[in-house]
Amino acid sequence: MLKEFDRQFFGSADRLTYIGSGELGGKAGGLVYIRDFLERDFDPQAIPQIEVSIPIMTVITTDMFDKFMERNDLYEVASSDARDDQIALAFQQASLPVELVGDLRALISKVHQPLAIRSSSLLEDTVNEPFAGVYSTKMIPNNQPDPDVRFQKLVEAIKFVYSSTYFKSAKNYSRATSNLSSDEKMAVIIQEVVGCRFGNRFYPHVSGVARSYNFYPSGHAKPEDGVVNLALGLGKTVVDGGKCWIYSPAYPRTNPPYKSISDMLKQTQTSFWAVNMGKPPAFDPIHETEYLVEGDLHDAEVNGSLYYTASTYDPQNDKLTVGTGLPGPRVLTIAPSLMVRDIPLNNLLKNLLELSENALQNEVEIEFALSLHPEYGLPARLGFLQVRPMSVSDAKVEVTDDELSASNALVASKVVIGNGTEESISDIVYVKPQAFDAKNTNKIASDLIEFVNRLADDDRKYMLITLGRLGTSDPWMGVPVEFSEVAGAKVIVESTAPGMNVELSQGSHFFHNIIGMHILYFTVQHTGDFPVKWDWLDRQASVVETDNVRHVRLASPLLVKVDGRAGRGVVLV
Amino acid sequence: MVQTEFNPFKMAQDQFNRAAEFLGLDSATCELLRTPIREYQFSIPVRMDDGNAKIFRGFRVLHNDARGPGKGGIRFHPQETIDTVRALSMWMTWKCAVVDIPLGGGKGGVICDPHSLSLREQELICRGYVRQMWNNLGPAVDVPAPDVMTSAQHMLWMLDEYEVISGEKKPGFITGKPVGLGGSLGRKEATGYGVVFTIREALKELGIKAENTTASVQGFGNVAQYAIELYQQMGGTVVCVSCWDQKDQVSYSFRKKSGVDLKELLGITDPFGGIEIDKALDLGYEKLPGDAWLEQDVDILIPAALENQITADNVDKVSANVKIMAEGANGPTTPDADEVLKKNNVFVIPDFLANAGGVTCSYFEQVQSNINYFWDKDDVLGRLDLKMTSAFQAVSQLAKKKNLFMRDAAYFISVDRVARACKDRGWV
Repeated sequence: MLKEFDRQFFGSADRLTYIGSGELGGKAGGLVYIRDFLERDFDPQAIPQIEVSIPIMTVITTDMFDKFMERNDLYEVASSDARDDQIALAFQQASLPVELVGDLRALISKVHQPLAIRSSSLLEDTVNEPFAGVYSTKMIPNNQPDPDVRFQKLVEAIKFVYSSTYFKSAKNYSRATSNLSSDEKMAVIIQEVVGCRFGNRFYPHVSGVARSYNFYPSGHAKPEDGVVNLALGLGKTVVDGGKCWIYSPAYPRTNPPYKSISDMLKQTQTSFWAVNMGKPPAFDPIHETEYLVEGDLHDAEVNGSLYYTASTYDPQNDKLTVGTGLPGPRVLTIAPSLMVRDIPLNNLLKNLLELSENALQNEVEIEFALSLHPEYGLPARLGFLQVRPMSVSDAKVEVTDDELSASNALVASKVVIGNGTEESISDIVYVKPQAFDAKNTNKIASDLIEFVNRLADDDRKYMLITLGRLGTSDPWMGVPVEFSEVAGAKVIVESTAPGMNVELSQGSHFFHNIIGMHILYFTVQHTGDFPVKWDWLDRQASVVETDNVRHVRLASPLLVKVDGRAGRGVVLV
Repeated sequence: MVQTEFNPFKMAQDQFNRAAEFLGLDSATCELLRTPIREYQFSIPVRMDDGNAKIFRGFRVLHNDARGPGKGGIRFHPQETIDTVRALSMWMTWKCAVVDIPLGGGKGGVICDPHSLSLREQELICRGYVRQMWNNLGPAVDVPAPDVMTSAQHMLWMLDEYEVISGEKKPGFITGKPVGLGGSLGRKEATGYGVVFTIREALKELGIKAENTTASVQGFGNVAQYAIELYQQMGGTVVCVSCWDQKDQVSYSFRKKSGVDLKELLGITDPFGGIEIDKALDLGYEKLPGDAWLEQDVDILIPAALENQITADNVDKVSANVKIMAEGANGPTTPDADEVLKKNNVFVIPDFLANAGGVTCSYFEQVQSNINYFWDKDDVLGRLDLKMTSAFQAVSQLAKKKNLFMRDAAYFISVDRVARACKDRGWV
């Protein structure tokens, strides 16, 4: 049972409260659900050095969203083709329900530390339609001395999260999942940010995502061992697919499979996100990162936050030494570094994954933030931020060696995500390899979006073949689309290309959406045994094409088979 | 309903005496606070539309300004008396004190009936009022506001006259101005919403959910309309409203047991809150006598019209099911009726607490006008809710601690605050 907000945020006897009489939404509902299991089944004495809790939060339930929309006549602009910034502006100009503002004012008058204003929509974090990362979260520093200013910033952040319900990406996602954006309702979580203040930055020492099932096991690790992604600073790095430390909880001392230490230096995290506690940025209430600031490893070292999380590269001996005692380049080797410092995060995560799996009766993904004692490391605090069920199909599909190398195999791979068979796809949209140039990826993205939007308008599912990392925010690493823009794809193939040998798409939200929406996902090495048969594709008549992207429609549908357990798949024509 | 023998000022003094006795105030403080510190009575000559001159009688009373400049509305009412204005100014002192805003209590009035005056004639009364009083009003002296049968338009005429005379732009001279011309967002909703904020807190104390309650409302003016709006938004059901019928010169109650539709009623209501009878009947409302609002079998009564409405004569008609009475109007309950409500365990939210949302938002408007920077609606209503809730809780906690009736607890808090201010200034 959740208690009604009593106008005390930190002072209340209840850490989780609500305002309103509507629904909590998926994210908040998940946290409330897991809280009961944490209280009942989690033994805090098992790992007493780390306090585990769901950070204090108040949920504004969905009825307030309804009132906000109705009383301000916002449905028209929300459902229009207006740009995201125009929608956000219209929402900023509207008034929150009178039933809400008194509680907000009371809340903010007594709270002076950073807050996360998080979406918690009805559709968010359901098993089959995860809507992960589709809606916005806004962090506010909340350290202004004037309560009027803090209140204003809180109100702006709530309206921004409300407006994100109707942003283009959310509408695309709804369309791809056959939901009506008009049916969506948004609850909002106001939650303390777990972390420490380091000068003008506020961030946790470590944030991360742990999954109980690993689709990319390497070395001795098995899928059931799960996988953990860790990053310094706010979790934005992990969920947006930035560079982070990835390891198996069964082998926490094992480094990810980097080819060399120099490769590790390039592939590990070099920048991190924090809440900006310093000079106020330019007024920009309709931007998610208004109060976020990105720092580099030097900033983190000055802050003292690398002590527990980094190793130092010794170029003379070409080896890494845990810690920052020696001069040299720092490398964020988070998991082994924590272990050397006797910080039992890995054991704790294993406990939490097991508990969450039992609670949800499903494979799970959890998000967390770890804040260490600034001087001694321990005691520490782990904020349990989110839990989502993961959809892992158990259908038995077999992909034989013969099929992988068959002449009619358009695509074959031994690195796949998903499980199952798909026999209804006859549309293929692909990035043309002949003309591909990393400097054109923004143009490629816009062509690609145009093509797939037409398919979505006709309610046709398709296979998408792209070069480099799909959904990257860095246009030099692949085609920078958002997941929602290609959510109508049933099959996605990422192929490397000359000059573009990037890792798989690792963004937590992107990844979770692929799994949740049962998209069959292939990674193909252009230099490997099974490159994409581009010639065959080029011989098919095009429906439409540009210099960069081509759409072909086949006379008969493809046969797509993915064996998730064996991690192999094939697309047969 | 107004009885000529009823003297609201005497009632206000009796209420003060009880508080003074409870607090053990010395005689000088009692004498100071029992009567207004200043009062003005004057004539306003107006050239009427028919060419004749007519003299209207005006009043302005400042009860006490120890805690800050005077604050109080200007009423246009045919039965206005100096004693009514005195009483209301005293209540304004307590009202400002109970919500802890830095203002004193004032009130003004003109004996006139706006229903029978053209807009031009009303404008001339407004301008005449300011010509008589401008030197004793102002942002740092005494700040008027709209009240019974005066509106934002009247305030704007008064402001304009004041600025012409003083030669300066001083939007803080008066409150209740139109939004965009120095008015505050949220002002029109403030009093009615404030009433419902206190009802919400009372329901919490009684452990009742708003959606399980019904209410009956006296009056259908600004206060009642916004109180109904927010109460319905909280899930409550209003089954009866009453209003004054200008044509018949009596009040009627309109009942719909399934719940009145606010938008529907607003569509058939004149600017002074009178509901068109025929159209109401067409819409399925029952037309009942004016007093019937009081007799409804509801959980909450909201008198939001005039003073002296619940008396020893009619208090027995209040249903035994009534749990809360929230006084949206000033002085709607006489002391003897109050005793009966007390005996029947009705949770009375006294007028100067329940309807303090208006003056609180007026104060916000004054602040905004003086600094010439205007807040958005979220900001205004958020502050209002907090002020009202804090005030309610202070009163309720004292009532519980000392086992007092809410009205007495509210009086004791207010009178104590004002008495201390007078003492601290060295007046007594």
